[in-house]
Amino acid sequence: MKPARFDNIYEEKAKKGMKLFTKSAYEDFRGFEEAIITKDDQQYREVDPERSKLFAAVAKGISQIGIREGSSVLYLGASHGYTASYCSDIIGKQGKILCVDVAPRVVRDLVFLCEKRDNMAPLLADCRQPETYKEFISENVDVVFQDIAQRDQVSIFLKNCDQFLKQGGFGLLAVKARSIDVTKKPALVFKQAYQELDKARSTVIVDKRELAPYEKDHVLFVVKKR
Amino acid sequence: MEWQRLREKAFTTTKEALAASVNDNHLIIQAVASMEDLDRTSNTLIKRLREWYSLYGPEFSHAVTDNEAFTRRVLEKSKQEQLQELQCKQSMGADLQEQDVQEMLALAGMIRAMHEERARLERYLETIMQRHCPNITAIAGPTIAARLLQEAGSLRQLAIIQASTIQMYGAEKALFRHLKTGAKPPKHGHIINHPLIAKAQAKDKGKIARALADKLSIAAKVDYFKGDPIGDELRKALEERFG
Repeated sequence: MKPARFDNIYEEKAKKGMKLFTKSAYEDFRGFEEAIITKDDQQYREVDPERSKLFAAVAKGISQIGIREGSSVLYLGASHGYTASYCSDIIGKQGKILCVDVAPRVVRDLVFLCEKRDNMAPLLADCRQPETYKEFISENVDVVFQDIAQRDQVSIFLKNCDQFLKQGGFGLLAVKARSIDVTKKPALVFKQAYQELDKARSTVIVDKRELAPYEKDHVLFVVKKR
Repeated sequence: MEWQRLREKAFTTTKEALAASVNDNHLIIQAVASMEDLDRTSNTLIKRLREWYSLYGPEFSHAVTDNEAFTRRVLEKSKQEQLQELQCKQSMGADLQEQDVQEMLALAGMIRAMHEERARLERYLETIMQRHCPNITAIAGPTIAARLLQEAGSLRQLAIIQASTIQMYGAEKALFRHLKTGAKPPKHGHIINHPLIAKAQAKDKGKIARALADKLSIAAKVDYFKGDPIGDELRKALEERFG
């Protein structure tokens, strides 16, 4: 096992491609039946890129994820908290991550998860309405990560970046073609999303990665705040 | 530290919001899903009971086709009594020891408890449906109405969607097969169990399904926006037209 290109992410050669791990920030945490490797008294949790769009992008060789040791993260669409828990590993105990989701059913699981990790906080809120959770963000964050299946996901993302992302901070957006328009060809939807992001004055596009074969018809965009 | 304070606040707010998010929709959906689970499980178990008990008294399983009645008789009557009732002179079943029979009866007891629980659940569903959405319940009865609510996810959603969607709920497989391959489109989903459709002739079923779904759609809107009761009126209109 050797360090990958990003903070606290490790990789190991496997039969097929690479296995990805994060250095566990909280000892003896195992929330998703993931494999855990112990090496020199340090635990490492395995990530399944098929369950996490962030790590699918890492496996596909994205150039920048913005999330580092000590980062503060706003995570929109955290769901059960699978990816969020690994982000929490990357940022370590000095970092902080606010996990937002609208669906009560999944936030219930998220609350239990966050209780075990001091750097995570759950929030039941709608990311269409940033005003409803701005009181929970004391200063602008280093990273906004968004993974929601909504039609207007790009404009929701830009709205949140405008309001909460600090200068020079990174925004990560997972675009699901099928939830923007099922009838259109995914490539066309991605092109339109790109143009919409490109038009935004406050951010520049840094990178994008298609997530196949881990996730069908998805692209992860990385933008940087001017 | 600032983060600790915000984190505590996020927990408090979120927990409050989660507690407040539970409503009648959730209770109905869980109750109707539990009813389906009970049906499925008790059917599996009763198939086993019939196989098992047939080693001992095969005549019975053959004579009583109704599952509930079968379970009751196994529990209440001895083999001798049952054979007499059936006027059967020679049984194909083995003479088993008391201990072996007891195990079968234990299974039968559990199945009977499931049947009782299901009946109780049905009564509960009726009260809660009467409270939450009296109009669609008046037209379709508590079980079918609850199934539709389950498919839609909430009364709000059921009030928003068009009548044709209500007509198709529960027939998704057939509907998408139709869209994909051009096979014959389905006429009805869950509402097929409604007495008006169930007893109609095949040629009328589609027409009744459409009309019924229309009235249900109206009733759902009245239920959601808390209008004056209209369910009984709509049901009577349907019964006059098709009954």
